[in-house]
Amino acid sequence: MIYEIAAYIAGVFLLIGALFSVVAAIGIVRLPDLYTRMHSASKVGTMGAGLSFLAIATIAFDGPLILRAIVGFTFLILTAPVSAHLLARAACLAGYKPDNLTELNDFAKDQ
Amino acid sequence: MSGSEFLQWAATISLGLLTFAFLLTIIRILRGPTLPDRVLALDMLVSIGIAYIAVVAIKTDFSLYLDVAIALGLVGFLATVAFARYVQHRGLKRLDEAPSGKEAQK
Amino acid sequence: MNRAALASVLALIWASITGNFSLPNLILGGAISLLALWLVRKDVSSPHYFRKFRLAGSLTLLFFYELLLSASRVAILVLSPNLKEKLQPGIIAFPLTAKSDVEITLLANLITLTPGTLSVDVSPDKKKLYVHALSVPDKQALIDDIAKGFEAKIIEVFE
Repeated sequence: MIYEIAAYIAGVFLLIGALFSVVAAIGIVRLPDLYTRMHSASKVGTMGAGLSFLAIATIAFDGPLILRAIVGFTFLILTAPVSAHLLARAACLAGYKPDNLTELNDFAKDQ
Repeated sequence: MSGSEFLQWAATISLGLLTFAFLLTIIRILRGPTLPDRVLALDMLVSIGIAYIAVVAIKTDFSLYLDVAIALGLVGFLATVAFARYVQHRGLKRLDEAPSGKEAQK
Repeated sequence: MNRAALASVLALIWASITGNFSLPNLILGGAISLLALWLVRKDVSSPHYFRKFRLAGSLTLLFFYELLLSASRVAILVLSPNLKEKLQPGIIAFPLTAKSDVEITLLANLITLTPGTLSVDVSPDKKKLYVHALSVPDKQALIDDIAKGFEAKIIEVFE
């Protein structure tokens, strides 16, 4: 019985994760500048890959495998904001300007 | 529909959706317009790739794929860090300045 | 011994005894061990540890909740047809109350994964954190939101 329920939950996780990935990709194409695109890639994109790891953790009835899936998920969630932050910082310091829509820019003001 | 049937069906649909996401991200890589944009899109490709491998791991029931996905995550993270360093040290190139206005006009 | 570590060890023992290392079974084992530890709490560990553990736990829960919320919100924003009108991006300077490096790192990471915000840089004197936000209708409201939510919780855990 528990196997059946786990299979259903894992399937739902997979579908939601794939949907998140598609939305992240749409965001990367539609959003106007680097910094707004970063929101889409770092949050929504991470959710997409993370949910597939969670799906494995739910479906795998084997201790080490579950542990590895959870470690992978944690790793993904911890590294995504770091890489997004590094890229945003590098772009900011290199002088890439945000889109014209950006009204407030304390960073440029303080430089 | 039994649990495992539903899982197979969900995995197939997910593979289709991920392929679509992959193609959309490639549009951003081709369009640019700046280097950091492309780096970001490549980072996104890596996370779509991780999701791909995880789905294949479930579909084929072959658990070694999970390690491949984790390793890809590690390599992808390091690659993005290295690219960020490069972007910062290279600074702004003359080529990159103009297109950001063009993109806004579209 | 820390209560959290004890509970996880007990959960693992539960899983190996029942011979089933599945996620639901591990969670069930964890819940039962926590219940058992709560029943005998006077002898096992001090309430101080338990409080810290609970605070860290609530921070983790808050984090996952905010991550899910932020992903859905960005997703809805991306899919809305009048994208350009809804966007109001801006980079704001957030005055840091948190002092230590660990706290600032944690806060910066949490900010990146919360609705509509992304940390960009820390000023050299560690007084300000530059945050990029998808829509800033009210700068002060956003600053208050972060200061009262995550920063307060982080300082509470690390005090």
